[in-house]
Amino acid sequence: MSDHTAAPATTAHTHAGRYLVVWAALTALTALTWGLSTIHIPGFGGVAVALAIATVKGTLVALFFMHLWDQPGPNRLVLITSLVFVALLVTLPLLDNATRFPLANPPDAETAPQRIRDAILNDAPPPAHP
Amino acid sequence: MHSAVAHHFESLEKQGQAQRLGMWLFLATEVLLFTALFAAYGVYRYLYTDAFSQASRSLETWMGGVNTFVLVTSSFTVAMGLDAVVKGKNRRTGLLFGLSILLGCVFMVLKGFEYRHHFLHAELPGPFYGGPIAGSGGSMFFSLYFLITGLHAFHVLVGMTVLGVIGARTWLGRYGAEHHVPVELAGLYWHLVDLIWIFVFPLIYLI
Repeated sequence: MSDHTAAPATTAHTHAGRYLVVWAALTALTALTWGLSTIHIPGFGGVAVALAIATVKGTLVALFFMHLWDQPGPNRLVLITSLVFVALLVTLPLLDNATRFPLANPPDAETAPQRIRDAILNDAPPPAHP
Repeated sequence: MHSAVAHHFESLEKQGQAQRLGMWLFLATEVLLFTALFAAYGVYRYLYTDAFSQASRSLETWMGGVNTFVLVTSSFTVAMGLDAVVKGKNRRTGLLFGLSILLGCVFMVLKGFEYRHHFLHAELPGPFYGGPIAGSGGSMFFSLYFLITGLHAFHVLVGMTVLGVIGARTWLGRYGAEHHVPVELAGLYWHLVDLIWIFVFPLIYLI
C-alpha cells in the first residue's frame, strides 16, 4: 500500500509549464550570448561571459529538462562527480602548457620566442644569434 | 500486473531508479569523452589564440546560432513528449518525438551546408588545411572543429535513432503512464546532446 504514496512523486516531476519557462529562458540566453559576441569584449572577458552564460543554460537543462531537480542524491552525485573530472581535465593540461619552458611548446605557438616564431611563420631560416 | 518489472526488482519504482542511475553513469562517460576534446581545444586555443579567433570569425555564426535554437527547441519537444506519456497520451508522445527528429534533421542539414562551405574553402583538418592562416594554428582549429562537431553530429544521429525507436514503441502502446522510464531515458540522451552543443556553440563560434 505504501507504493501508492510513491506513485504521485514520480508523476509530479513532469510540468509542461516548467518546460515552457525553461525553453523561453534558453532561447533568451542564446540570443543574449549571440548578441554579446558581436561587441568584442577584450581579452579573457569575452570567454568568461560566454562560458558563464553557457553554464547557466547547461544548469537549466540538467536541472529541469533532465529532472535532476527532483532526482534522489545518487543520480545527482554522478553528474557532479563527472564535472569535478571535467574541471581537472581542462585546467591541468592548460596549467601545464602555460607554465612550461617556452621551447617545450610548439615553435610557432604564441608562447614561443618571437624571433623563432617569426622565422617559422615567414618561412625563413632563424636568425643566427641575437 | 507489472510485466515490465524484471524478476530481480521488487517494484517498477525501484527498477526505474536503477535504470536512471545506470543512464546517468553512461551520460557521465559521455561528458568525459567530450571533455577530452574540450581540454585539447583549451590548450591549443591558449597556444594559438590569434589563429583560433581568426578561424572562429571565418565561421558562419548565424548557422551555429540557428542550430542552437533548433536543438534547444527539440529538447523542449522531447520534454513535452515525456509529459504526454506520463499523462497517458501515447500518440502525442510519438508525434512530439517525431517533431524532435525533424528538428534533428534541420540541425544536420545546416551542419552539412557548413561542412560543404569548409570543404570548398580548403578549411580541412591537419595537413589538408589550405586556408589563409599561417602556421599550424589554422589546421589545429579545424582539426578540433571537425572532431568536436563531428562527434557531436554522430551523437545527434544516434539520438534521432533512439527517439525514433522509443517514439514508435510509445505510439504502439509499449510504454504508458506507469511504465514511462524508457521514454525518460531516451529524453535524457537527447538532452545531453543538447547540453554539449550549448558549450560547443560559444567555444567554437563566439569566442
